[in-house]
Amino acid sequence: MGLDAFFAAIPFDQLLIQTVNGIVTGMILALVASGLTLIFGIMDVVNFAHGELFMLGAYVGVLTLAATGNFWVALVCASLLIALLGAVIHLTTLRPLIGRDPLTTILATFGLSLVLQNYALWQFGPVARKIQEPFTGQFAFFYLQYPWYRLVIAGLAAAIIAALWLFLKFGTYGIWIRATTQDRVMAEAMGIPVPWVLTAVFAIGAGMAAASGVLFGPLVGVNHAMGLDWVLRAFIVVVVGGMGNLGGSILAAIFISLLEAYASLFVPPSQAVIVSFVVLILTLLFRPTGLFVPTPK
Amino acid sequence: MTPLLKVEDIHTYYGKSHILHGISLEVGRGEVVGLLGRNGVGKSTTLKAIAGLVHPSAGQIVFDGRPIAGLPAYRLARLGIAYVPEDRRIFPLLTITENLRTGLDRHGVGKARKQELLDKVYAYFPVLAERRNQAGGTLSGGEQQMLAIARAMMLEPQIILLDEPTEGLMPRMVSQIREIIEVLHQEGVAVLLVEQNVPLTLDASERVYLIEKGVVRHHAASAELRADDAVIHQYMGV
Amino acid sequence: MRIRHSVLFWAGFCAIVALLAVAPLGLPKFWAGFLTEILIWGLLAMSSDILIGYVGLVSFGHSAFFGLGMYGAAAALLTVSPPSLWVALPYGLVASAAVAACVAYFSTRLRDIYFAITTLIFSQIFYVIIFTWTEVTGGENGLTFSRPRLDFPGLFSVPFTTETLHWFVLAVVVLSYLILRRITQSPFGMVLQSIRENEARTRAIGYPIERYKIVAVMLSGLFAGLAGVLYAVQNRFASPDFVFFLVSGEVVIFNVIGGIGTLVGPIVGAAFFLLLREVLSRFFTEFYLIPVGIIFIAMVIFMPQGLLGFARRWLNR
Repeated sequence: MGLDAFFAAIPFDQLLIQTVNGIVTGMILALVASGLTLIFGIMDVVNFAHGELFMLGAYVGVLTLAATGNFWVALVCASLLIALLGAVIHLTTLRPLIGRDPLTTILATFGLSLVLQNYALWQFGPVARKIQEPFTGQFAFFYLQYPWYRLVIAGLAAAIIAALWLFLKFGTYGIWIRATTQDRVMAEAMGIPVPWVLTAVFAIGAGMAAASGVLFGPLVGVNHAMGLDWVLRAFIVVVVGGMGNLGGSILAAIFISLLEAYASLFVPPSQAVIVSFVVLILTLLFRPTGLFVPTPK
Repeated sequence: MTPLLKVEDIHTYYGKSHILHGISLEVGRGEVVGLLGRNGVGKSTTLKAIAGLVHPSAGQIVFDGRPIAGLPAYRLARLGIAYVPEDRRIFPLLTITENLRTGLDRHGVGKARKQELLDKVYAYFPVLAERRNQAGGTLSGGEQQMLAIARAMMLEPQIILLDEPTEGLMPRMVSQIREIIEVLHQEGVAVLLVEQNVPLTLDASERVYLIEKGVVRHHAASAELRADDAVIHQYMGV
Repeated sequence: MRIRHSVLFWAGFCAIVALLAVAPLGLPKFWAGFLTEILIWGLLAMSSDILIGYVGLVSFGHSAFFGLGMYGAAAALLTVSPPSLWVALPYGLVASAAVAACVAYFSTRLRDIYFAITTLIFSQIFYVIIFTWTEVTGGENGLTFSRPRLDFPGLFSVPFTTETLHWFVLAVVVLSYLILRRITQSPFGMVLQSIRENEARTRAIGYPIERYKIVAVMLSGLFAGLAGVLYAVQNRFASPDFVFFLVSGEVVIFNVIGGIGTLVGPIVGAAFFLLLREVLSRFFTEFYLIPVGIIFIAMVIFMPQGLLGFARRWLNR
């Protein structure tokens, strides 16, 4: 086989389409994972219930969309409501565990994910709900009509992450959060109300998960088990990106989503997940601190 | 006049080991008080207990007329107790300005007042002003000590708890610390100074408590101890 | 004092085993089978306790070991004829040990949360493989097969009934308990516990920590696989649902509810959980996990030593 034949065999159009697809899901995944990373970084809590917050956010989106007919109202409502739920969860189940072995938080949030998931099943039933996308315009993209909405999701997710970054970098509360992450005891000695900062961070992470749920809802439909898939991938992203490292998580989310998108050119999507598993294993083998962090000195 | 800070017979435990066996001391308004003793006798723990980072199992701490034992540390910081720990504990990834803002961004502090406070510490510590956008972790030990004190001053405290501020510093830095304590004193801020450096402590403070095995063994005016160092020999072994 | 304590222990042990042995004769068929199932899940939970309670590693990957035990047994029962228990056992054990070796190699380099996540993801890898490799594993539908006979060549050969199956399972679980108890009290077990207490110090003394952890994970995986074989024999099917990580989560729940680091605790936990599920699912139908989850969270917060630890403290009062 000549070189020309080899290049001709590569489906460039499909490759490009998958690149766009990968970036779109990558941005959503980054949104989910950055909340998870934030929560992990500041309080060593691996939030097993994160996927359920994503799922509940999508359901709140479904309900508010039905009530108001406005997608953007639904997006904001879902984020705020689930942020509030996050605060309540933190106050009731995680605050009592402050100072205990971090493993207990895994157990508590795992219990929480069981409760929330089955609550959703009980309330909303097993049939998937649909969120209508706010606009249905499409543009010609090779042989496809590609929906504009997908690009808007990617843009919005990026905007939310950028807003988070600006808030952390320049906002007073952002400085509080970063100070608490770096030295919780000293932060408290400087008058920062650390217990409330932790609650707020959990709420922010929950709100971001909910926002991703609403944004992603129109692409797949909303059901009670949708969170499982996301939380696993978000875990992978968080480990590959370096635990607690926001920038690393975002890069890892896009990287892994792109790989999965390319892989699904050749294998069914249910098997394409294995690619991200392999990335994770290789990361653990060769760079256990994460792919996207400088090697520690 | 009631003292600013009154510690009455506090006991603390670390796990099962009994660290403080009933420490009692007082600090008046604007007064500089020294706390001397060998390593591991409970000086740092006393400061942590006052700052609310260690909760005494028994005893009273009264600050400005109200009992404070058991309150969370962040409430105490807002009440006017600033803590400068032994290992400085600068937020390593925050810039110098951000480090200062952790204490500055409080409710009820106007924009002008914030700028005023910042300008004041930057005037005291020109080194910090030069590097205000540099990460705290990149500073030298002495600079970190200055930042730690500057950060504590951002709280506009009534008392600053200084834990071994001169430890590991060059002599030039030590005298600078001595000057800072004097400045604080002149501004009417009380200082509770824990030190191994006996001459500095006797020089800077008005009164000194000597601690051994978690209790106060001796209490005297610094002038008295400067004249007669037998007691110091006994408790510090120097 | 010590001797009396140990006499008391063995007396209690014999009494409980005897009670469990005669139980199926007095119980209705459903509850007899239920009791057998408790023992099997108890064995799985006990295997996980080796890691949680003794090394301090929380495994979210036990569903993979359990599931591979099931599929290993299934492979033997479907391909080797005549189907024999004594072929199914090694097949299941080898399959789970192989998986455990692989998981152990990667995950023991990591601690705490990282270990939990890695084991979780490994179990998902096996889940995806089993779920999608339809030609071999039957995919979503799993595999069904017939039960082998309980035969000891040259001695006797009987078909598995509710009672004989129960006795066989009981024998395996009791034997496993005795072996694991011996292991945890051996010098090896002591090293594991000192890793839990202070990993850095244990390393400094000169123990090759990683090797100890790998052996512990493999041991744990092997007993989990044994539970998988028993489950396959009892239920005559292997299904990907059992490889899914929620099963691992339930195993962790058994441990926490019962009390970690006790070996018996997890069995108590499994019994409590399964009974709770049985009772609650009559009121809450399939949503029983809502109250179970809430009870579990409450126990994590308020009763960190589990039922057994709680009972022990209560008795000592």
